[in-house]
Amino acid sequence: MEKKSMIGAWVTRVYDPEKAAGTLKFTDDLSFGSELLYARAARSTIPCGKIVNIDYSEALKVPGVVKVIVGKNFPIHFGIYLKDRTAMAVEKVRYIGEPVALVVAESEDAAEEGALKVRVEYEEETPVFDAAEAMKENAPLVHPDLGSYEHVSFVTPVPGTNIAQHFKIRRGDIEKGFEEADQVLEESFSCPQIAHAFLEPHACICLQDPVSQEVTIWSTAQSAFTLRELVAKGLELPLHKVRVIAPPIGGGFGGKAGITVEPLCLAAALDPDIKGRPVKLFVPREEVLTTSWVRQGWNTKVKMGVKKDGTISAMKVELVFDTGTSAEYGANPVRSAGYTSMGCYYVPNIWTDSYGVYTNKPFGGAYRGFGLPELMGGLEAVVDAIAYRIGMDPIEFRLKNLLKPGLPTCTGMPMPPHALDKIIKKVAEKIDYHREEPPVRKGWKRGKGIALAIKAPAMPADASSSATVEILGDGSVKVLAATMDMGQGAYTAYAQIVSEELGVPMERVKCYYPDTAAQPYDWQTVASRSLWSMGMAIKRACEDARSQLLALYAEYWQCNPEEITIEDGIVKCPKLGKAEPIDEKTQNGFKMPDGKYKGGPIIGRGHFVPPDVVYPDLETGQSEKSVVHFTVGAVGVDIEVDPGTGEIVVNKAVAGYDAGRVISPLNVKCQIEGGTVQGLSAGMFEGIYYDKNGKLLTPDFTDYKIATTMDVPWEIESFCEETPEDPSPYGNRGVGEHSMISPAAALGNALYKAIGIRIHQYPFTRERVYMAIKAAERGEKDFWG
Amino acid sequence: MTKREVHFTLNGRSVTYEVEPRTTLLRALRHHGVTSVKRGCEEGECGTCTVLLDGVPVKSCTVLALEVEGRSVLTAEGLVGKDGKLHPVQQAFVEEGGIQCGFCTPGMVLTTYALLKKNPDPSEDEIRLALAGNLCRCTGYTGIFRSVKRAAELLKDQA
Ligand code: FES
Ligand code: FES
Repeated sequence: MEKKSMIGAWVTRVYDPEKAAGTLKFTDDLSFGSELLYARAARSTIPCGKIVNIDYSEALKVPGVVKVIVGKNFPIHFGIYLKDRTAMAVEKVRYIGEPVALVVAESEDAAEEGALKVRVEYEEETPVFDAAEAMKENAPLVHPDLGSYEHVSFVTPVPGTNIAQHFKIRRGDIEKGFEEADQVLEESFSCPQIAHAFLEPHACICLQDPVSQEVTIWSTAQSAFTLRELVAKGLELPLHKVRVIAPPIGGGFGGKAGITVEPLCLAAALDPDIKGRPVKLFVPREEVLTTSWVRQGWNTKVKMGVKKDGTISAMKVELVFDTGTSAEYGANPVRSAGYTSMGCYYVPNIWTDSYGVYTNKPFGGAYRGFGLPELMGGLEAVVDAIAYRIGMDPIEFRLKNLLKPGLPTCTGMPMPPHALDKIIKKVAEKIDYHREEPPVRKGWKRGKGIALAIKAPAMPADASSSATVEILGDGSVKVLAATMDMGQGAYTAYAQIVSEELGVPMERVKCYYPDTAAQPYDWQTVASRSLWSMGMAIKRACEDARSQLLALYAEYWQCNPEEITIEDGIVKCPKLGKAEPIDEKTQNGFKMPDGKYKGGPIIGRGHFVPPDVVYPDLETGQSEKSVVHFTVGAVGVDIEVDPGTGEIVVNKAVAGYDAGRVISPLNVKCQIEGGTVQGLSAGMFEGIYYDKNGKLLTPDFTDYKIATTMDVPWEIESFCEETPEDPSPYGNRGVGEHSMISPAAALGNALYKAIGIRIHQYPFTRERVYMAIKAAERGEKDFWG
Repeated sequence: MTKREVHFTLNGRSVTYEVEPRTTLLRALRHHGVTSVKRGCEEGECGTCTVLLDGVPVKSCTVLALEVEGRSVLTAEGLVGKDGKLHPVQQAFVEEGGIQCGFCTPGMVLTTYALLKKNPDPSEDEIRLALAGNLCRCTGYTGIFRSVKRAAELLKDQA
């Protein structure tokens, strides 16, 4: 009988039982004894200005307050791609809410009370809140020192401006392309900043040993090793003197990637008066948006030229990302959108400018989808609009212009194999796209819409992973693979891989949460890369462990390694009629026929780095291999709108992606469900708003609405195609982020069908939809309000 | 601030905590190591701190510890059997993909438990309504809906 493969097996997820029981400890759940100190930030009350004086004498009088630290005590610049950020404001504040002082106290309450007593005197300067304004000549500069900041080679700030990043694509002859077009359409769409809204706020505990100077950080971090590296570089410590322990995190979505709140906590823990005592920084919900990052606000302008027969001849794309006061991470989604700006289409002539622009607001960074919801929110609407303009069915238009395998993307890289055509047809069929149906609710308006999704892992060319697999003395297996399982289910998939490769039952495989002191290196848990990149490392580590074990058994049993199998934890040599469970020999050594011991603990190791990515040329964006691969897909929604209130109800949502190979069906299904709802929620409710002085109006879940059980479809239909990826552990490629990319765009397209007017501003709140319906009744075709 | 004693039943066992009058039930429980009760907002908006107070789901960040004098508090750990077996409601969440990061899960599980106690066969709308105060950012709720349905089945089988 053929052995049932674990790859693709329907299994429940590891660590879920502990999560259901509530016994799994998150960072905020750890205890550190009575030496623990608590930190709380005092925050800027103005959006832009010089700090003249910080008076914290009253804070020091609060019983329990130990110390107050200000920005100039800790002026180190941190940042992953562009070091434009300090833990606290130094000399100048750049947004309301920026930390200006850190109060450290014996209790959380005292720290909070102290923070309220810090008084700051400012010399106010003119702020700029709007990215388009900030791009204008003579706009006030958010970072006058931009030219002096350290940055990676693939990020291109424009010193003397507010442009923190400018990415370009220049391919083909754009003018000729538009001349060849019979129809040209230009539209723009925009969306405010949005929040990750993970339910676990950031928390961090830092401790520096006063003798060895070693720093230990427990943090709600997606990426223990990148955090280690950025801290070590910032503090000028060798890597081995920084240890990052990352307990389970309660949702990340990019908001806990790179380095986030840790520098603020380090400012206290490294203070000479505090050093030696652990310091905890718990970021209260209302401060999450100001201390960490948000998804950048965006404006996407697409000009598309199409020939009579429906082929796209040219496209000009301008993406403006509002990155707030820091682009340290936000510079990269700007690139990601830029080098994917053809969307899912073959565009022979394309010209793209993607900008990350500073404003005096909280800062933008990584967010599930990483530049692609921002691109697709505009592009997929334009595709529908131009199809209608030339009288072509939007599905047919998409299929006609599809970026088929082998065709060049906007960077010139040939598109790898995929089954997007099949997916589009399936999604259309499942929502019965071409059938106009009457609304289910009396008096409502119904519409159906589709949008495509595409995304490559956005990461440095040399983002590597490594893992070890240790076969323990009873045949159970310890896997050290420093991915953060933040709910995506990485450890379940890893356990499946190990079970498959080593022939041990999955229940006997254990993956551990990241600790840089214990585990081998992995770049970051981002970019939907883990099961691909770390998957490669784990598979190789298994192959290594397995061949070590088989070599030992071959000598022990006096047979060939090829004659030995491992099934269900039993080592067998059918030829010799031998079979035994893996036992302590694998740990203590095998007593060989010659009487000598051989072996010892079996540890397999594996590593992986993408072999052939070439950074796009800084002037043209061209590269023969700009990214490792692309995952593509489509989402379709069937919605209804209440013209009396503007309320949208999603009758049905269907989403399909080309996963290459599905390793964990339950994980993939749940990622698609969760991401689709996160996308719909963004499309219907979410926006971060400020008053005219830049003060945040949406710091909590009352004002910052995310979807609740009342707002979502009862079911989401998901499916996958499986066109294998190469290289890849099993042909699989990432699907974690993709489901978030296009639901909002699909919603926009459905909405247009339902109400006959195109809304150019996300989110499609009731109020906005209601007003758009009113505008439609006046005969308008576009709504900008 | 002077501390006062509060006596209550926690997961079936009598406990006495010393708390300041301003201390919330959430903070008191967490201070005593009951960390299944999560602090997602401390503003009564997210439901991660849900406990059952005399069988009724409440957000423990909006209850003062002193208010539970003489009452009974159930948390997610309290649903687990002595033999380490998950309660059918918890089991259903594992089986149906109702869990991703797990941060909302203890609260979701408790709210579901309370719902099914009151209403063993809830309709779609009743499920939505019962869970409307518990946010989840990971699952999109669909897996949670399946879990509630499954939990209802498991409980019926058990009865
Ligand atoms: S922590 Fe109590 S409702 Fe959010
Ligand atoms: S599982 Fe993460 S918030 Fe619900």
